[in-house]
Order: sequence, then structure tokens, then C-alpha cells
Amino acid sequence: MRRRIDLRQLAQYGTVVVVAVTLNFLLPRLMPGNPLALIAGVDVGLLSPEDRAEIVARVGLDAPLWKQYLRYWGDILTGDFGYSFRSKRPIVDMIRDRLPWTLLITGLSLIVSAVVGVILGAISAWRRGTKTDLGMLSGMISIESLPSFWLGMLLISLFAVQWRLLPSFGAVTPAADLAGWAHVRDVVGHALLPVATLSILATPGVYMTMRYSMLETLGEDYIRTARAKGSGDRRVLFGHVARNTIAPVITVLAIRLGFAFGGTVIVETVFSYPGLGRLVFEAVSGRDYPVMQAAFLVFTAAVLVANLVADLLYPLIDPRTRAS
Amino acid sequence: MGSRLPTLFGITGGCIVMILVGGSVLAPWLAPYDPSERVARPFLPPGSEHLLGTNDVGQDLLSELIFGARVSLSVGIVAAAVALLIGTAVGVIAGYYPKRLGTIMMRGVDVILILPFLPLLIVLAAYLGRSLVNTILVIGILIWAEPARIIRSQVLSLRAREYVLAARSMGAPDRWTILRHIVPRTALLATGSFVRAVSSAILLEASLSFLGLGDPIQKSWGSTLFWAQARGAFLTPAWKWWVLPPGLLIMLSALGFALIAFSLEERINPRL
Repeated sequence: MRRRIDLRQLAQYGTVVVVAVTLNFLLPRLMPGNPLALIAGVDVGLLSPEDRAEIVARVGLDAPLWKQYLRYWGDILTGDFGYSFRSKRPIVDMIRDRLPWTLLITGLSLIVSAVVGVILGAISAWRRGTKTDLGMLSGMISIESLPSFWLGMLLISLFAVQWRLLPSFGAVTPAADLAGWAHVRDVVGHALLPVATLSILATPGVYMTMRYSMLETLGEDYIRTARAKGSGDRRVLFGHVARNTIAPVITVLAIRLGFAFGGTVIVETVFSYPGLGRLVFEAVSGRDYPVMQAAFLVFTAAVLVANLVADLLYPLIDPRTRAS
Repeated sequence: MGSRLPTLFGITGGCIVMILVGGSVLAPWLAPYDPSERVARPFLPPGSEHLLGTNDVGQDLLSELIFGARVSLSVGIVAAAVALLIGTAVGVIAGYYPKRLGTIMMRGVDVILILPFLPLLIVLAAYLGRSLVNTILVIGILIWAEPARIIRSQVLSLRAREYVLAARSMGAPDRWTILRHIVPRTALLATGSFVRAVSSAILLEASLSFLGLGDPIQKSWGSTLFWAQARGAFLTPAWKWWVLPPGLLIMLSALGFALIAFSLEERINPRL
């Protein structure tokens, strides 16, 4: 039984990859105007007919569509994303430079938002209907309505400009050549505001799930039994409620990771943080389409990995899902 | 407080939305200046002439915000309507034909929900080019999946109701049953998803405009923040009048619709 479900899940992830790659392939070819400008990055109007034919042949635009499609897949499977229009560098190298920074800030913010969201959600559900619950709930709904870039700009205005506590841009102090502890301190200082922004934005999702999931658990019969036999608050909370609440939260965290990853496009742009998200912004403003596409595929892969991890963790945490 | 909370949220949200919509309708009378006119020196701090100062080309910021409400709110509302239209169509068909067609359609919905949302939105917007219609389309065709899912589950249960079975056993054609018996009963649920979609569409429009992918002529609140960022306003004291107000307005409008959606959802599916 369980095996079959896993296969179906895998088939779905496979479909996602095919859809993402196909979208990437079709978009520049379907758009109005000459695909040459979108695929080869050349100013079509300025070329002589011979040059044009030469470029068309080089990027393979003269081949039938299905052949181009197969070739596109071949390139991607061999890890060849082509070259950036702008910097002329191999895109794989650019992504390799940028990815660690994005993983650093999304990873840290995921941990922070998970801890804060779970704790606040539990308190809120435990004190359901009180002023504490109402206050937290309205607070979280308000945070969900915050434009992410605006939150980042405000944090910069306050912490970097007004109070001069933290740096306002980049991942390290430029040309400082720090080593050892000084370097670590520098990196942490630069990461603090982006991580804070991402954490604040990701907390409501975790909080809402935790609160709802815990309210459901609190209504279960075995909780009433536990209370009836005289177990104290603490024992009910940690012995019975917490264990049964955590599983759905794991799933939400995996999905949130995907969201947070996508959110870095905006947050890294505000903080000029040299990650993958900022690369997308640079590619968009510089009309560097291949870079944009490659980054989109990396984001897709990251989301899928996060989902896979959640699928694998789920039965370990919640044995009830193992049997069915 | 069980039933009071949704009401409280609903009323608060309703008031916020009414004030903002009212303000955008009355924009020509409320705004002190024409927002496209250069009326003073650039980068002016707030004063009695210009309550929120002026921007980098000397346009009145307060007027820009009042007129920006029109763009931000209408993009949000129209994009949500597009999403609702697609979502209802897919949800109703997938729910009414749950066997093969429905399964395939819902697989598609799941795939869309997994794709990294914001990067896809940005890539699409970048290819399509900067215009209000494109912004609306891109947002609309990316946020219909959630409403489709909600509506489908409702249709699945409606389909098994006796009056639907009765209509079908008397030989009513599918189209008639769907339009007469199914669609009207999804209206309440659809309203809830619509209002929620408006809230997220407003935030998405703001994000796109902030990245410089919005319509260059019709300035929304997000575009105002794009220029504030491009001119480094948040690195100067100007953040208090150039960065703070447009963000607050975006947040308030998203919040207003989210509160209404929350109270509607609690009413339809009480779980508090």
C-alpha cells in the first residue's frame, strides 16, 4: 500500500519537472517577436542576413521543434544551462556562486520561524478564546498582509540607517579581507536583517497550522480521557498533544521552505544580498533570459527536494500514516 | 467569543476596504494635485503645500498614493476575478466528473501548486512585458488553483445530494444540472475564495511593481516603492514619508480583504 502511494507521489514530482522544463522551452519560442532575441540574446535588427543565418544554425533554431526540445532536455540533463547574455559566464558557475548564500539565509529563517511559530501556535491554541489568543491571531493575520520588500526596507531604515547597528547591503564587507572569527561575525551581521525579514514572513504559516492542528487534537477523545484520569496540564501537553500535532506542521514547513526560497527574490533584492534570488532580479532587469530560466529550474528542484524530505519524514513522525 | 471573533474581523475588514475603495473612487476630488504633473522641486520633505513631500521628479507624493489606490485595488480585484472564473470552471467540472476527467484535472492543479510560485510569476511577467493587462493575467492564471480545489470538494458533496440525483434521474442534461443546481450553491464558498484571492493579488501586484515589472505609466503603490528603492529613499530620512505610507496602504488593503475572507470562511466552515 505505502509503496504505491510513494510511486504516485514520485510520478507527480516527475510531472512537475517536465512541466517546468517544457515551460522554459516554450516561453521564449511562443512569445511575440523574434525568438532569436530571447534565445541568442542578439539585437536582431542590426544583423546582416548571413550573420543571422549563422546564429540561427548555431543555437539550433532551424531544426524542427521536437529536435530542439530533445536537445534542450539533453543540455539540462548534462547540467549545461548555457551562458549568460550579460556576463558571458557559464550559468552553472553563477548559480554555484550564489546558491550557498540563499541556502544560508533560508535555512536559518526556516529554523527561526519553525521554533517561534510552533511555540506561539501552541500557546494560542492552549489559551483558545482568551485575549492572548485573539492578540496573536490578529497579529499573525497582519503579518501575512505585509509586503515582504516593504518590511525589508523598513528594517534597513531603522536598524542600518537610523540606529546604525547593522550593515544595509551585501553578504560581507567589501574589500575587508577578514579571516577567522572576524569573518564569521561579518557574515552573521550581514545575514541578520535578511534572516529576520524572512523569518517574520514565514512565521504566520507555521503558527496557523500549529494552532489549528492543536485545536483539533485538543478535541480528541483521548485527551479528554487523559484529563479525566487526572493528568496535569504539563503531562497532557507534552505527553499527548505535542506528539500528535507535530506531523502536519512538518508538511507545512516543507511547503514554506519552497515559499521562503521563492521569497528570496524580493528579500535579497532589497538587501542586495548576493544569492540566487538577487540573481533572478538582476536577470529580469537585464533581460538575461537564460539566467532567469536556469534559476527557475533550480528553485523548482529545491521545492521538490523539500517536499520529498517531508514525505519521507512524515511516516517516521506519525506512525498512523504508516499503516494506511 | 466563539461567534463574535469572525464578526469582529469581518466588520473591521469591511470598514478598511470601504474606506480604501471610497478613497480611490473619489481620487480626483481628494487628491490636491495631478499626480503626473511636476508641481514642485524634487525630493521635498513634507510641508503645508505637500503633505507627504515630493518624489524624485517633483510630483506630489500624496496625490500619487491616492491615485495609486485605483491601480492597486483594481488590479487585485480583476486578477482575483480571473482566478475565480478559471477556478470555478475547473473546480465544478472536476467535481462533477470525478472519475477520469476530474482526477486528471486535479493532478494538474497539484502540479501548479508545487511549482515555485513567485519565480514563475516573475519569469512569466518578464516575458510578457510591462502592462496592467499582463500583470492581471499573470496573477490570475497563477492563483486559481487554490479556489479550484476548494470548489471541487464542495461540488463533490453537492453531486451526491438527493435533488441533484433527482434532476439527473429525470434526464436533465449535465449542463443544466451544473448551471441550475451546482454552481449557485458554490456561490458562498466562491465569494470566500474570491476575497482571499484579492488579498494575495494585491500583494503580488505590489511585488511585481516593486521589481520593476509593473505598468510604467499607471503607477501603483508598488511602483511608488520601486522608485523609492531606486532612488535610495530608504537610506535617507525620506523613508518616513516616501516608504512608510505606500507600504502601510498595501498592508491595510491586503489585511482588509484577508479579514473579510477569514470571517466568511469561519461562517461557512466553523472550526474555531
